Order: sequence, then structure tokens, then C-alpha cells
Amino acid sequence: MRLSRQGTSRIFPVFVIGLFGITILSGLLGTLLPSMNYLPVIGHKHVSLSVWFDFFSYPGIKTSILVTLFSGLTASFGVVIFVFLFITFSYGNALWKIFEKILSPVLSIPHAAFAIGFGFLIAPSGWLIRMVSPGLTGFVYPPDWSILNDPAGISLAIALVIKEFPFLIMVTMGALGQLDIEKTLLAGRALGYKKEQIWLKILIPRLYPHLRLSIFAIIAYSLSVVDMAIILGPSSPPPLAVLILKWFNDPDMSFKLIAAAGSLFLFFVVVLSVLLVYLIERSACFVSESWITNGKRHSFSARFKSIVFFMGVCIIGFTMVSSVVLVVWSLTWQWRFPDFLPAVWTLKFWAKGLVSSFDPVMTTMFTGMAAAFIGLILTIGCLEHDVNFQTNHIMQGKAQNNNKTLYYFLYLPLLVPQITFMAGIQLLLVIMKIDGYWIALMWSHLLFVLPYMFISLSATYRAFDRRLTDQAMLLGRPYMIVLFRIKLPMLLRPILFSFAIGFAVSVAQYIPTILVGAGRFSTITTQVVNIASGSDRRAIAVYALIQQFLPMIIYALAIILPKILYYNKKGMQV
Amino acid sequence: MKNFFLILVWLTILSGFSQAFAQEWGEIETAAEGQTVYFNAWGGSQPINEYIAWASGVVQKRYGVRVIHVKAADIGDVVSRILVEKAAKKQKDGSVDLMWINGENFRAMKENKLLYGPFSQKLPNYHLVDTKNKKTVLYDFTIPVDNMESPWGMAQLVFLYDTKPVSEHPKSMLDLLVFARKNPGRFTYPALPGFHGTTFIKQALFELISDSKALNRPIRQSEFEKNTRPLWEYLDALHPFLWRKGKVFPSSASQMLSLLNDNEIFISISFNPNSASNAIENGELPNTVRTYIHTSGTIGNTHFVGIPFNSSARQGAMVFANFLLSPEAQARKADPEIWGDPTVLDTQKLAGREKALFDAVPKGIATLTPKELGQTLPEPHVSWVQALEKEWLKRYSK
Amino acid sequence: MSLELEKVSILKFGSAIFDPVNIVIKPGEITTVMGPSGCGKSTLLSAVSGSLDAVFTLKGSIRLYGRELLTLPMEERNIGMLFQDDLLFPHMNIGSNLAFAIKEKTSGEQRKTMIEKALKTAGLEGFEKRDPSSLSGGQKARVSLLRSLLADPSALLMDEPFSKLDQSLKAKIRDFVFSQIKRMNIPALLVTHDPLDCPEGGMILNLNNKEG
Repeated sequence: MRLSRQGTSRIFPVFVIGLFGITILSGLLGTLLPSMNYLPVIGHKHVSLSVWFDFFSYPGIKTSILVTLFSGLTASFGVVIFVFLFITFSYGNALWKIFEKILSPVLSIPHAAFAIGFGFLIAPSGWLIRMVSPGLTGFVYPPDWSILNDPAGISLAIALVIKEFPFLIMVTMGALGQLDIEKTLLAGRALGYKKEQIWLKILIPRLYPHLRLSIFAIIAYSLSVVDMAIILGPSSPPPLAVLILKWFNDPDMSFKLIAAAGSLFLFFVVVLSVLLVYLIERSACFVSESWITNGKRHSFSARFKSIVFFMGVCIIGFTMVSSVVLVVWSLTWQWRFPDFLPAVWTLKFWAKGLVSSFDPVMTTMFTGMAAAFIGLILTIGCLEHDVNFQTNHIMQGKAQNNNKTLYYFLYLPLLVPQITFMAGIQLLLVIMKIDGYWIALMWSHLLFVLPYMFISLSATYRAFDRRLTDQAMLLGRPYMIVLFRIKLPMLLRPILFSFAIGFAVSVAQYIPTILVGAGRFSTITTQVVNIASGSDRRAIAVYALIQQFLPMIIYALAIILPKILYYNKKGMQV
Repeated sequence: MKNFFLILVWLTILSGFSQAFAQEWGEIETAAEGQTVYFNAWGGSQPINEYIAWASGVVQKRYGVRVIHVKAADIGDVVSRILVEKAAKKQKDGSVDLMWINGENFRAMKENKLLYGPFSQKLPNYHLVDTKNKKTVLYDFTIPVDNMESPWGMAQLVFLYDTKPVSEHPKSMLDLLVFARKNPGRFTYPALPGFHGTTFIKQALFELISDSKALNRPIRQSEFEKNTRPLWEYLDALHPFLWRKGKVFPSSASQMLSLLNDNEIFISISFNPNSASNAIENGELPNTVRTYIHTSGTIGNTHFVGIPFNSSARQGAMVFANFLLSPEAQARKADPEIWGDPTVLDTQKLAGREKALFDAVPKGIATLTPKELGQTLPEPHVSWVQALEKEWLKRYSK
Repeated sequence: MSLELEKVSILKFGSAIFDPVNIVIKPGEITTVMGPSGCGKSTLLSAVSGSLDAVFTLKGSIRLYGRELLTLPMEERNIGMLFQDDLLFPHMNIGSNLAFAIKEKTSGEQRKTMIEKALKTAGLEGFEKRDPSSLSGGQKARVSLLRSLLADPSALLMDEPFSKLDQSLKAKIRDFVFSQIKRMNIPALLVTHDPLDCPEGGMILNLNNKEG
């Protein structure tokens, strides 16, 4: 019986490896060929390296690559260092608790919506300067400062740090559950170390392996982000990913080839950056060994602490105020610089927006729910397969946990830039004549939904006290009943939370939606990007808020539902 | 007698011809009924989206054709998709049945044989199009249209300025440089290779080039340096006085509308002569904004709708394209409160109720009269676009 | 002749963690396995219950009433187990926790009386609707035992079941558990490091750790 159960549950990892492996590899192939000057449909049939020459001689390409590296790596390093500082100085304090509370709503804000709000905030004519003008600044007209879309991509990097910070904190919180934080702190303190030093010397080195993959994903994301870069990044030249998208969309078909070369190069940049970070990690291990064991117990100045605290407050503040400024713009009729608030208000844009976004919202909800639901089945299936493999029932000693490869495939969509393989996938789908079908769209979302769901659920799922299920089985109940009546109901909270994350990830997908959906499916996110290509900030704000609102509903349900279901079960409350 | 006979023959041929024509259109209408047309069009403007929704509603009711507006952020990615479909040998059931298109995208579609073929002359309303005065309905960026796309609306480069900070507007590119020197940081233009930025550069070239005839013919590499030198000298002089000192450019003309409203800039550009009035109507701009053009005239062109080669609803697409050309639809489109996009029709050919529709269209407070707008300058030969964009990127996008 | 462990040894990375074990436990008898922590006592129990971790290899034979257990999955071994923790399912009330253990074919009415009766024997009448977390440690331990027994097991395993209880409660619970085992007349295997836990007259097996 159990033998066959393990055999059956193998379907899940096999399916996932198939889904992810085949899709991404074929997508990469679909990009590799054009980059070698092979795209018969536009008459390029002779393999050569000329495309690469064209790519590297494109005007401004060097700057574009440098901007990409600068903003992407600054953002990645920034967010990692800051997360470590934040845990070190703030673990368990009031700010940490606030973060625990607001993590879900903050995480659920789609990147595009946040970038739009952030842009409305920090522009020279943005809300921050309006707040102090002309009173403090004397500005009657906005200053000519390069704050937004700055050539170096600093505003983009800052926005990325703010947006990725809650994600890494979420992963950290999951991982902390697997470490004996309190005990280690107690033991360290007994040895005369301050709390901060225990974090830096003991806990963070132990924490890092749990975060490694997520950090790689952050690097890949920051280097290849498109929607935020369009809104906040420099324009001439733009970061590489934006340039690639422009090439893909250029009416001159030969740019398709350059776009393919560019997206492979971007992939290469990501791989190199990930390797670089890995090397830094290794050498940090090596270098820090003597530092960790040197026995010094110096303490940090209070000033340092308050800087970290201040930055934490800034992250919360910017995120919140970015949403508030969207609300204000969505209610605006006429609002000119330097007025602090609109001169004329209106509800007209909400009335229009709600009507015209109805269909896209339905598509978004339907696709997101389906992707998150299938993602959940696959995630639980894989995790359950994993957990079963760790228990030796009959084939004593023969069971091997060979699931490691699964995770590389699973995280591939997060590590390979979207644009690098999605264009190849589009070709594949069209050849198979399943482009423009809803199922293809949902499947493309699933590629990105699944890894995030896996990241969010696996730690808690693996940490589940196996004795409870053992006990239930020893009571003579079949595996499926134990799974559905004991394990899953007890894990309801993290499961719903993971569902909400999956849903939010699906909502935010832009490139897969336009490439795979053949334009036949407009989701709220494609609407946001479309309307953002126009000028009307009031309409943009309305759509961005609707986009922000959808995942928030699901998060709210994920929080409220277990509370209602288990209102009288104290053991189930957290 | 001989003459009479000849006339008779002619009449027979003619009537047969027109009968065949009517018959053919009747067949198209019949075939169109029940079809679903995926109309891919830029979706970045609420008023335009609403207009398309209105037109879709009408053809659904009258002709039983269901039109679905597929909103694209960039029509280039629609062209890409059709190309991919061709690569995959998808000869029918393409994802696009009708698309909003012109200029470079049209050239790309035509060159790669992605268009269905000549169809616009089959449309009964096509005879109302002003092919005499509006040459750009026949030549899209100097490329012969060959009836492979059907005209939809007219565009002309205009400048918008806020009369509050600017008392007197420039009248030429050289004036504009003077203005920029006096008001550093208060003018910019969209980054190339975007369509609006390229148009601004083309306009500047028109005003600065010594031999403007060179623009009408395919580019000659040998002359390019000489012909464009004044342009680059002009831009070199202008850029230090632009918004963000010419280091950052807005990504589109739409973005410049917001900048104008915020007074980050005082002068903006648009390709729709009604855009200032539309935006004032809509609360996007203050009512102190007005429109002007340069005394030399400004570049104008036409935007079209085209049918891809693999559309399976081409009859439905034609019925919709024909409706878009109807006086009813064109007059509504010209209304600044609706969209404010100039018509491609020759209103002189209209009479009675149809003419009244156009007479009733209000002229926005910031819109120039047709007389003030004058004759548009033709687009330079399409080969200039890429050469200019490439050179601009090389010089200013480092 | 009821629960037999014959030449049972457990290997980790190829080497046995204790000497081969031979035990025979008769119905109603309680055999105690003792030894220092880490000697593999709990591992031996999980070998019997069927929840051995994948890193271990098991050799030998375990039979219950003559039936070989090693080829059976956990839920078919018909063995009850008590841990140090009560392991009551926190999302179910006491009644549901107990009902979960009762065989499926039992009718609703029967279930109700079985639960009522069981609770009464433990002095917990009317606790059906209670939330597990509202019970005291001793109460939970008793419910946990009741739950295992309601599954009508053919043998009972106990992994330090009393170690987390207050000193004052220990004896009381111990007596309750042992009396129930007697009453059910099933073989029981107890793992503990506390000599006080051993029932009078029961067999005691000292497990010596090979590594230590």
C-alpha cells in the first residue's frame, strides 16, 4: 500500500520537472536560434555571429548594461544587507512586530502599482515636494532635478529594495522557524555576547543557506525587471530588459534577432551575478571564520541601531504613502503643482474604471485562482512525496531522497529572466496551436506561481510534527483521510497564505500574459500597463488601485478564514 | 448610331461593374454576420477605448459582428505576434483580425507579407475619403498604401504651451532654441526611437535642412552627413537647455502631457491637433493651455486599420473598418468631448444630415482652425526614420 | 506469543546502533526498554510502529499474533502509540479526537456511547465539546490514551509517555494507563529512562548503545 503511494506521489515531482524543464529549455532554444541569426520566417537562414556584433555595437548598449548591473546589483545587495541588519537590530522589537502584521498586504502590492505610486511620490513635481512647496522650498514650478528616471537607475534601485525587502523578510520569517532562535540567543548571552553579535556571528551564517535561492531569485528579478524599470528607470538608454522588450516590439523585424541575443546576454549577466554572489558567500565564510571565533564582544553604537530603525520605518512609510498618493490621484479632476491636494475632486474615474475593468478583473480572478489552486495541489503533492520519502516504511534503507533536482527545475523560472524564455515559448505555443487559449495562459502563470508557493509553504510544511500524522495512521485511518482530515486542516493557515501568494504572483504577471495570451486575455495588469502608457494619471491610479486590491482580498481571506473556522480552537491560533 | 452603341456598351459594363461591386459587398456583409473580430489597438487612452467600445456596440447591433478590443501597450508587439504566427505557419485563425497601424509598423507588415491584401476599395464608405487634399491617406510615410489599410484618422504635429508662464510662443525651431535658453529645463521631447520623438526630429530636419527635396527620396548615405549636420548642431545647442539638461527624455508624448500639467515643462508636443482641447475638457490640462504650429508648417500623417494575412474574420473586419469610415463614426470621433481625432473624409462630399453631423462638432478652445493648421508637410521617405533614429541614439543615448 | 521481536537490529550507515533485540510480550504484559538517551530506544519503537526514518535500515522480524508487521504500512499494523506529548489534534474538539480513532463501520449512535463511556472511565464526563488546549496536562494524557485504545489496537507502544507530566500526576496517570492495558489485555512496549515508570513484575530490557 505505502509502496504504491510513494509510486503515485512521484507523479508530482515528475510532472513538475517535466512542466518546468521542457518549457524553459524549449523557450531558451527558441531564443538561442534567432540569436545565431537563424529565423527563417524573416529570411535569416544562415547561422552566424553577426547578430552578436550588432548587439554589442547598438548605440548606448554599454551604458544600458552598466545601468542594469548597477541598479540590479545595488538593489540586490542593498536588500540582503538591510534584511540582515534589520533582523540583527530589530528581531522581536516593536517594528518587527509591525512588519509581521503588515507583511501580507505589503507583499501583495503588485510591482507595477507600487512603482506608479512611488513615481507619483518622488518626482520633482511629486507629492513629497508638493508637501513642502512653495512654503519651505519657494518652488512655484517644480525643480529640474533628475530624481525620477535618473540616468544611473538609482530611483529604480531604491524602489526595488523597498519592494523586495518584504519578500526576503517573509522567507526569513519562514526560515527562522527552523532555527532555535531563542535557545541560541540564550546560550550566546550566557557566554557574554550581545544579542546583535549572536545574530551576526551565529544566526545569520546559519540562516543564509535557507535564503540563498530566494536571494538568487531577487538578483535575477532585479536585473531583468521590466514593468518597474519602464516606470522608474532611465529612458535613454533604458536598462537592458526594457531595451530587449523594445527590440522585440520593433516594427523592423531584424531587431528580433538582436532582442534574442540581448536576452541571452541578460541571462548570462544573471548567471554571472549569481556566481559572483556565491563566490562572495564562500569567501565571506572563509574570511569571517577568524572573526566569528575571535571572541570579541564589542557592541554597536545606539546611533547605528537608530539608523536601521529609521530605514525600516522608511520602507513601511514609502510603501504606505505610495498607496495613499494613488488614492488621491484616483479621486482627482485637476491637480497642479504645487498644490498639496487636488483643486477639483471627482469620482468619475472610479465610476468609469470599475465598469471598464470588470472583464479584466474577472479574467484575473479566474486565472489567478486556477493557477494558485493547481499550484497548491502540485506544491502539496511534491512536499508530501518528499516527506514520505524521508520515512522508511517497508523498503528499509532503499529509499533515497533524490528530489534535489526537482528544486533546481522548480526555481528555474525565477532565475532565468522572463523575457529570455517567454518569447521562445510563445513560438512553441503558436507551433502547437495552443496560443491564445486560456489554459496556456494559466499554465504560463503557473510557471511563476509554483516556485513562490513552494518557497512560502515548504518550511512550515516540512516542519509539521510528523508524530501527529503517525499517530493518526496508527489509529488505523488510511493515508488520504489522515492527510485531508488531520494534516491539511492543521496547516490551513500556511496553505491559504501560500495560495494568496500564488494568486498575487499570477495577478502581477505581465510578460507571460501578453506573449502567451495572444492579446486575447486582458488582465488587470495588462490594463494597468496599457493605461500607464498613456498620460492620464487619474485613470492610471484607479487601475493600479484595483490591481492592488485584488490580491489583498485573497490575503485578507487567508487571514480571516482560519480565524473563523478555528475561533474556538486555541491550539490553532497563532 | 455608332456613338449610341458605344455608350450602350459602356453603360452595360459600368452597371455590371457597380452591380458586381454591390453584390460583393452584400456577400461580405452576409459572411461577416456572427463573426468575432479581434481588433488590436493601443489601449492607453480612456476616451479612445470608450470610442472603440461605442463603435463595437453599433456594429454588433447593426451587422451582428462582435468586435473585441484587444488593448495593446505597443502595437509593435502585435506585429511581432503575427510574425511568430507566420513562422509557425499558422495560415488561418490568427489572433488578430484588424489592427490600428501606420508608418513603420505598416512598412514592416507590408515587407514581411503579413497583410491580407488590398481591401479598402471594397468598402462602400471609402469613396468619401479625401484622397485629393489628404495625400497621406494614399502614402503612409511615403510608402504606397495600395489599399492594404483603410484610413481612420488624421494627425499633425502641434505644439502645446501653457499661456500662464509663456506669453509668446515660438514660431520655428530657431525660436524654440531661444525659448529654451531663456527658460532652461522647460522643454523636452520624447526619446527616440519612439514615434513622437522621431517626428519632432524630422520636423527639425525639415526646418533646418538646406535641400528639403532630399527628404522625399530614399536616403543616400553619401549625403546623410551633409544633410543632417545642421540638425545635430541644432540639437547639440538645444540639449543643455532641455528638461533634465537633455540627459533624460520622457518615454512618450503622453507622458509630456503630465509634465505640462505639472509645469515641469511649459511647451509640449502632440500629434493630435485636438489634444490640448481634449485634455482641457478632460481635466488633464488647465484651460490656460493653447496650441500652435511653426510658420513653416508641420508634419502630418494618417493612421489606418489593417487586416493581417491569417485573419479568419476578414469580412467582419471589413464591415467594422467600413463603419469606422462612416460619417456617423468619423464625426463622433472628431468631437473633442469624445476623442477629437480629425476626420479622413472630405466633408465637401457630404450633404444634408451627414454634413450636419460634422457642422455640429464643437471646436475646442485650444484647437486651431483648419486654416491655421494649413497644409501639412509630408513625412520624409521612410528610410530616413531608421537612419535618424540610429544616429540620434549614437549621439544622445550613451 | 503475541508481540514478538526477533533478532531485530537497526543499522545506520551500515552499522548497527544496538545489539540485536529479542523480546516476546504476552497480552496484558508490559515490557520496558531502558537505556540512556540516544541509545536508540525510540528508534526501536518506530521500527515497530512503522515510522522509521529513511536513514535507518531494519533487519530481523517483528510479529504481532504471528503476523509479520514489517511488510505492512503503519495504518494496517493495528498498533497504538503514546508519546511524551499528547498529540491531540488541535483543530478538533475532544469528542472528534476520540471519534477519529473509532473504526469507520461503527454507527453514529454507537460512537457516541463509546466516547461517553471512555470519557467516564477517565473521569472526564461531558468533555466532548471541549477544546483540547483548555485541558490540563493530565487530562490531555488521559484523552490521548483513550483515543489510542478506542482504535482497538492489538498492541500498545509507549515512548516516555509520562516524562512531561508533573511529579504529582505521574503515578495517577501511570496507574490509569497500566490498568487500561490490563483491561484490554494487549501486549505493551514501554520506552523510558525513569526506573520508576516500570510496572511491577514487567520484563525490563536494557538497550546498550553500541556507539557509546
